Amino acid sequence: MYDILIKNGLVIDGAGTKAVLSDVGIKDGKILAIGENLKDGGQQVLDAAGLVVSPGFIDPHTHFDVQLLWDGAAKPALEHGVTSIIPGNCSLSLAPLKAEDRKTLIGMFQQIEELPPAAFTDAFEWTWETFSDYRAAIEGDLSVNVAPLVGHSVIRLWVMGADAQQRAARPDEIEAMQDLLRDCLNAGAVGLSTSFVDVDENARPVPSRFAQFQELDALCAVLGEFGRMLQIVPEFYDTDITIARIDQLAELSLKHKIPTTLSPVFDNRQSPNNVPRTLARIEEQTARGARVWPQMQTRPIDISFSLLRPSLFFARLPSWVKILRLPVTERISALRDPATADKLVADVGEDGGERLMGRLIVRGGGEAPEHLVGRTLGDIAAERGEVPARALITLSLENDLEIAFLAANGGHDSTDRIGPMLANPLVHIGASDGGAHLTSFSTYGDTGYLFSEFVRKSGALTLEHAVQKITSEPAEIWGLKDRGMLKTGYAADVVIFDPSTIDRGIERPVFDMPGGGMRYVRDSIGVDTVLVNGQIAWAKGAYTNAQTGQICALA
Amino acid sequence: MTLSQQRRFTTPEPDETLEALAARACPDLDLELAIERIRGWNLHIFLMRRPRGLLLGGDVVFIEPPLV
Repeated sequence: MYDILIKNGLVIDGAGTKAVLSDVGIKDGKILAIGENLKDGGQQVLDAAGLVVSPGFIDPHTHFDVQLLWDGAAKPALEHGVTSIIPGNCSLSLAPLKAEDRKTLIGMFQQIEELPPAAFTDAFEWTWETFSDYRAAIEGDLSVNVAPLVGHSVIRLWVMGADAQQRAARPDEIEAMQDLLRDCLNAGAVGLSTSFVDVDENARPVPSRFAQFQELDALCAVLGEFGRMLQIVPEFYDTDITIARIDQLAELSLKHKIPTTLSPVFDNRQSPNNVPRTLARIEEQTARGARVWPQMQTRPIDISFSLLRPSLFFARLPSWVKILRLPVTERISALRDPATADKLVADVGEDGGERLMGRLIVRGGGEAPEHLVGRTLGDIAAERGEVPARALITLSLENDLEIAFLAANGGHDSTDRIGPMLANPLVHIGASDGGAHLTSFSTYGDTGYLFSEFVRKSGALTLEHAVQKITSEPAEIWGLKDRGMLKTGYAADVVIFDPSTIDRGIERPVFDMPGGGMRYVRDSIGVDTVLVNGQIAWAKGAYTNAQTGQICALA
Repeated sequence: MTLSQQRRFTTPEPDETLEALAARACPDLDLELAIERIRGWNLHIFLMRRPRGLLLGGDVVFIEPPLV
């Protein structure tokens, strides 16, 4: 008898083969049988008539490292059908980390993830320094599977201390980093992440950016001992630099026989040749035998923000970030101070923010005047005789900071262009950034959007192909053992969903972070049931108490 | 498949200054002109970055203009 028998579903196995009406029998956390009219019965029978039964979705680019310490389901990712996540991207992981370096790393995490300070002081106890101890800290309470990356920046920090953000490493330091990385890989890390873009809370480049190429090469030699992944954040805003990074990754991949991935890659009307040129280079390097996977996300980036809290929108404006980190009353005082406001406006640039802020749209919010909603800041600023940066400040003050602005269609801006790119066999669907940029936009629901926008609406992918792109493909690229397919003996990570309705809900603010911190989320639509390692983790709109998530075994 | 020609670049040596990098990358040019060229071809370092011109070990530094 099966533990769970899923009857009458339209089974999509994840390998790209055509969907078939079938039953799926699950026993001891594994797929035991797939076939028509399975007879052995089940302790629990799920009727999936009219629904798709597919492998659980895999999200290869997340930042759930901190959230996993109090939320092993990585909510709301799991309810969207995501059963395996890869945190630790962009050179930042929570381990290995010496106690004396915690404050430094918190600054970087706050900058990138926009977590409230209470997340680091009230929500968990720091019980680890090593990677294996961090693994132990999260492992017992997981509802989702985790394949953690180790961050290059924290490896540098461990070995070099404050010098990690100052200089190149000496040969003995590089050797120490190699030993440390080897320990992390032995403890289950899926690979190494590095970044050529990210900055800390003071806008200073993160430690990985101070590394010479020789240092990265030495670390990749260790990845080669295990055949594990190198993930990088390239300078995605410039095609020539992105291609240079692809060439570096190709050399590392060929030399050390490792897979590599770069994320994100964006397409939009302002740089229409970016993705075509990037993919042409990937094709050339792939033909040489290099494994270089560009990650593209399914959604456009729509940043919502107010002056109530820091936002990704101000990532390159440290003076603004500094003010936005003040307590609200002090922040309002600072914004009202003419000298401070003048400096903020000056720091935006000589155009007063016309280029950066002129096209912002007043989104609304609790106190936003109705007659301003939907208008551009540039338009409002001109009407008021102010430059946009000044108008942003004055409008916010006039409305007790309760007025939100929208920077729309960053990243992708055309479904017709993105669909064929997502379908391209050289493209790895990912880069959701799940668990990051919390107060700027929702990083949940990209999988639902894949089905609603690119399967149902544009038809760029078939249902089977879309499932393959977010199940067996990522499992194979990342070497996740026995996951990503509905196949006998594989882990019973399963999503049951309605193919005619699966989608992401509207973006909405919630205040469920530690200390009442805010983040944007999207609910899932059309996802009926999610199983993780053979247990129901989410069904009919509610989480269960199942904590059957695992640290992923690697091929 | 043969690799198509792409824009050539270098990466900084440990503790290398802009002057030293420019001299290494453009040995046939007068130093001041070489520095000017390197600055102009690498706005991601010399215009967009804060602090402006901070040379990082991991940087891609182009040693020629964009290919037409």
